Amino acid sequence: MLELAAVRQAYEGRVVLDLERFAVAPGAMIAIVGHNGSGKSTLLRLLALLERPAAGEVRWDGAVVSSPRVRPRAAARRRITLVEQRPVLFRGTVRANIGFGLKVRGQRGGEAEKTVTAVAERLGITGLLERRRHELSDGEVQRVAVARALAVAPDVLLLDEPVSSADRAAAQALYGALAEERRARGLAICLASHQLEDAYRWADDIRALAEGRLSPVTPENLFRVELPAGDETKHVRVGPIAIAVTTARVGPAILAVPPTDIFVSTEPLVSSARNVFTGQVTRLVRPRPGVVHVAADVGVELIAVITEEAARDLALAPGSRVTFAFKASAVRVF
Amino acid sequence: MDFLGEGLRRAFQLISSADPEVYGIALLTVKVAVVATVIACALGMPLGFVLASRRFWGRRAALTVVNTALAFPTVVVGLLLYGLLSRRGPLGGLGWLYTWQAIVIGDVILAFPIAAALSAAAVQGVDPRIRRTAETLGAGAWRTAWTVAREARFALAAVITAAFGQVVAEVGAAMIVGGNIRGATRTLTTAVALSTAQGDFGLALALGIILVVMALVVNVALQLLQGRGHA
Repeated sequence: MLELAAVRQAYEGRVVLDLERFAVAPGAMIAIVGHNGSGKSTLLRLLALLERPAAGEVRWDGAVVSSPRVRPRAAARRRITLVEQRPVLFRGTVRANIGFGLKVRGQRGGEAEKTVTAVAERLGITGLLERRRHELSDGEVQRVAVARALAVAPDVLLLDEPVSSADRAAAQALYGALAEERRARGLAICLASHQLEDAYRWADDIRALAEGRLSPVTPENLFRVELPAGDETKHVRVGPIAIAVTTARVGPAILAVPPTDIFVSTEPLVSSARNVFTGQVTRLVRPRPGVVHVAADVGVELIAVITEEAARDLALAPGSRVTFAFKASAVRVF
Repeated sequence: MDFLGEGLRRAFQLISSADPEVYGIALLTVKVAVVATVIACALGMPLGFVLASRRFWGRRAALTVVNTALAFPTVVVGLLLYGLLSRRGPLGGLGWLYTWQAIVIGDVILAFPIAAALSAAAVQGVDPRIRRTAETLGAGAWRTAWTVAREARFALAAVITAAFGQVVAEVGAAMIVGGNIRGATRTLTTAVALSTAQGDFGLALALGIILVVMALVVNVALQLLQGRGHA
């Protein structure tokens, strides 16, 4: 178990991360979502033991590894690997890069070579093995960097925006390979992403960061559902309400209602939107200036993102009666 | 013009006839320069690495000292070293004054700040992600330093060239602590100074040409080495 306890990180006096607790359990698949500058990369570097926190502790299996003592930190670092957002490759071939961590661990020759070949195969980069960094695209560099990290069989793999340079198909292939890896040997994966769709699709546990703190408003209006057969517009049961969805899919799926696609009204709405629900505001959260997250109980909890100006005009407060409306086509299905 | 032409003719005659004195001086210069460059780089480059990559109290002051030492006058180094090595000095017992070893010490003192300051700059120029990536893949301090050095190889080769250039062209300290003794401590630069003073312009020119060729050979060799490197 990798854990941050009461950790604060500051650069030149500016606090960029302040977390009471953040734990990565063995085998977990965590997505950290948040805007640029929300502290995701700092959090990952602290988890990777590449930085020491200004305050608080990093623990690995209960032992403090953020102290100045080098030995426990070095030992833990061999079990935790980070792939940075824009990874760099070392001088030499892709093969040498993937083998770097193995060489560091004293593995050479046939066995190391077998590991390199196997991990390259799993990530579909066998054809790149003899190339050098200047012969690769950004997306290929990202895949090689992930392969290089996986080759050392870490217990925790930290990924910072792992598909930022990949096209959709390559991103899905990479996530698929990671899911396979996790199934095969139960490694924990913690990835930072601003792509909510990816987070919804691949992670079991989504944690939102805003201004360096864990946000109480989770980024999702996320529901596990069973999609019935039938027409393209389906009414899917989610607790006591039925959400209209446009999809041809059938069977188990995840519905996500993007919070920015929800219209908020204090009056009953007559509109083309197929989903109109009335309920009560449960809380209002301001993750950053000018933005308000409105959480309302409409049978299930839904979160809408509106501007501060709109919240003021509607005079929203906890307990206010509110109507949420969104189109069937706005609902994402994963 | 006759004076210059005559000088050049004599210079080429001395070089082409493999004059034993000229080649003796050249060989001693190479010996002193190679030994001093190796020692200065062996000491200065690790210091440069530490200054560039570790954060510790006094780091900024150390960098200032090293950078200031770059401009240390060679005759002052010679003078201080003379004081240390002379019979009445604290290191007089070594009996190194007016030996080639004394010249090496002087050259090391002069080239050490070059090796330290320039290698610090070279390491600072390496993408910080290289260090972080090596560390996150489990590399220890030595392996990480080696990985960073491989990325900075061009700049580090330039550090060696600069250190060699300083050592081979230095005249002040070599003159004071070497004594410019014929057949023992006479290097190319001190011999050029002496020959010019004695009016043997041809000999001075021959030695000067060898000095320039030596610098050229080192530069070309390093450029060839760099050319062999791939990304």
